[in-house]
Amino acid sequence: MSLSRRHFLAAFGGAIGATGMSLTGCSLLPAKTDSLKSREYVGASKLNNGGYAVHGLNTDGTACWQTLVEARCHGGCFRPHNAQVLIFERRPGWWFHVFNSRTGERLAHVKAAGGEHFYGHGVFSHDGRYLYTTASRYQRGDGIIAVYDAKAGYARVNTLDLQGIGPHELRLHPDGQTLVIALGGIKTHPDYDRIKMNLDSMAPALMLVDRSSGEIRARFSPSHHQLSCRHLDVTPRGQIYAGYQYQGPNYQAPPLIARYRDGHFEEIEFTGKVQPQLANYIASVAAHPQNDLVAVTAPRGGRALIFEGTSGRLLRNEAIIDGAGVQTLNGGDFLVTTGQGKLIKMGASGPAHELSTLPLHWDNHLV
Amino acid sequence: MLRFTCCFRSAALTLLPTLALSGIALAANPQSGTAVEQQARVTWHQNIGRGYQALASDSEALLQQASAYCQQPSTDARNTLESAWKLAFGAWQQVRFVDFGPVETNNRAWQFQFWPDPKNLIARKADLLLKDDTAVNAETVSQAGVAVQGFPMLEYLLFDSRFNDGDHALPASTSCQLLVQVSSHVVDNSKQLAADWNDFGSHFLATGSYTHGTIRAAMTALEVAEERRLATPMGLRGNGKRSVYAADAWRSGSSLASIGASVSGLQDYFMPGLQIVLNAQGESDLAKRINRQFGEVREHFPEMDLVLAPMLEDDNAFRSLQGLYVDLSQLTTLINGEAATSLGVVRGFNSSDGD
Repeated sequence: MSLSRRHFLAAFGGAIGATGMSLTGCSLLPAKTDSLKSREYVGASKLNNGGYAVHGLNTDGTACWQTLVEARCHGGCFRPHNAQVLIFERRPGWWFHVFNSRTGERLAHVKAAGGEHFYGHGVFSHDGRYLYTTASRYQRGDGIIAVYDAKAGYARVNTLDLQGIGPHELRLHPDGQTLVIALGGIKTHPDYDRIKMNLDSMAPALMLVDRSSGEIRARFSPSHHQLSCRHLDVTPRGQIYAGYQYQGPNYQAPPLIARYRDGHFEEIEFTGKVQPQLANYIASVAAHPQNDLVAVTAPRGGRALIFEGTSGRLLRNEAIIDGAGVQTLNGGDFLVTTGQGKLIKMGASGPAHELSTLPLHWDNHLV
Repeated sequence: MLRFTCCFRSAALTLLPTLALSGIALAANPQSGTAVEQQARVTWHQNIGRGYQALASDSEALLQQASAYCQQPSTDARNTLESAWKLAFGAWQQVRFVDFGPVETNNRAWQFQFWPDPKNLIARKADLLLKDDTAVNAETVSQAGVAVQGFPMLEYLLFDSRFNDGDHALPASTSCQLLVQVSSHVVDNSKQLAADWNDFGSHFLATGSYTHGTIRAAMTALEVAEERRLATPMGLRGNGKRSVYAADAWRSGSSLASIGASVSGLQDYFMPGLQIVLNAQGESDLAKRINRQFGEVREHFPEMDLVLAPMLEDDNAFRSLQGLYVDLSQLTTLINGEAATSLGVVRGFNSSDGD
């Protein structure tokens, strides 16, 4: 393990359109804190026979259910006040699935609108009615938020234009109104496999968007235009942590974590050997609602880190092969899933330990 | 001692090729890996560099033949041009396994070969560029996207039977412009790639993770060759139907020849470095078995001029394809299974194909 002093790179030069808005989270719902106590977890996988599935898990790593699906899946979200969990197909995703989160029964299978594909993530309004999901109008590459009404059988009810390319993971700010969106900035087209078509002109961002009006309330730019902002999490107090994937040469090791708090957008860079160890790629971010800890996974570097959110101080640097999914556990620890089928418990106070290994490959995220 | 190590390390970065060839042990350090690993990377860097140089010179020859044919079209010139395409495309197949370093810049690998192409974008793009006889220049090609910029577009112009029966068939003026400009684009890319690979050397040699990275690249290439380039067109995967269109280079009948070139590229450019690390691991017997299996694959390979399509139609010919598939999958098992396990090389699900 390596402890590293924190090192902040304030990226004010790159921040635009901060509009003076403040999201302090003073009157926020600590919903996520309470919901940890008896929650289940859901993850997508590739099975050893080449098929794909979605699984429900207990906190101790035992599987509750497994449902086979037609194509590789990515991320998803629970529907508040309902026993429903949504999982999205991987980019370019043409469908999302709605499962009973306790039994795995598939309740609905919703196809993307014509000319659109999903990026693999979604989030609900706090009342559990509206689903916001990142999508692309791929002929032009326009990044949008596609809005669905779960109460109306997941009818498409609205579209928010992000004036940008490649929105990926998103969360709802605890104010209940602001969508926090990681805009990757990379243009792709389903006809061209996963080729990145605009590496020279990428414009990634961390965005704050009003979920009703679609107003873009802030757009923060990473310190380099090839730092693709892809994954993020938000604490109950409204602090945002985002993870990047760097598209530049791999002999460089730029910062890969961004933090937004109290109106300021900053980047956190780890010193010494830690930063290069991450191999320019963060797969998932989880900010713990019960403490000040943030976990990130870096599967290309074979690492998973825990750092203190406020100070950026690195607390744990674990060697975990192909670890990608990460979620928070009740009590202050984290749960990591790996491409080798492992479920690993990781905390600030001691070494990570394996809970289980299943004969499958856990995909990028744990929900 | 400390000072010596320090000086040795800095010297090692610039002098590695000479040192490795003369068999002098290299200093190990945590970032660049063991001396054996460094030696393997020196070997890989030299070999892959040779492969890139061959790609550059064969592409240059292709451009010359394209220009010559378009200036003075004749059956002989056409035959020479088609052979030049096959040679240059083969040179690309030999180094196609390298999926890291400067070939990643600007999607160069995709520019050389846009594949798979389930929507036939190659034909659609060509038709679009040629339909109104607007002159095609270097700018047209550089703006047209990866489906236009490499060997498959040239293959379409040279070998596509529908295109060759149409109004725009070579040596039609605009088609010739496209042929020459795309060839020129391939030349520029291949020369730049060779130069960039040379510059990339010090980073490659100093960075220990490239030892496993290079092995992983070869593992992926073997899997792609076995599964996507051979088993899928044979109908052993997916919908179970035999289809030449799932293969690459079907227009020129080079699907099998291109797999053959990829296998020989792995043997010539990758295997010597792998052998170094296997021997050091006490696995020289495994290294010998892998070398033997390379020989088996190449020996049992159908003649290079055999075209895949009719072999998919004829059950007798199909049996020889099955033999080839078995040979290739045994090679894959030896490298991706036994060698990778022995060396602790892990190809992650998320680390290699995350999002």
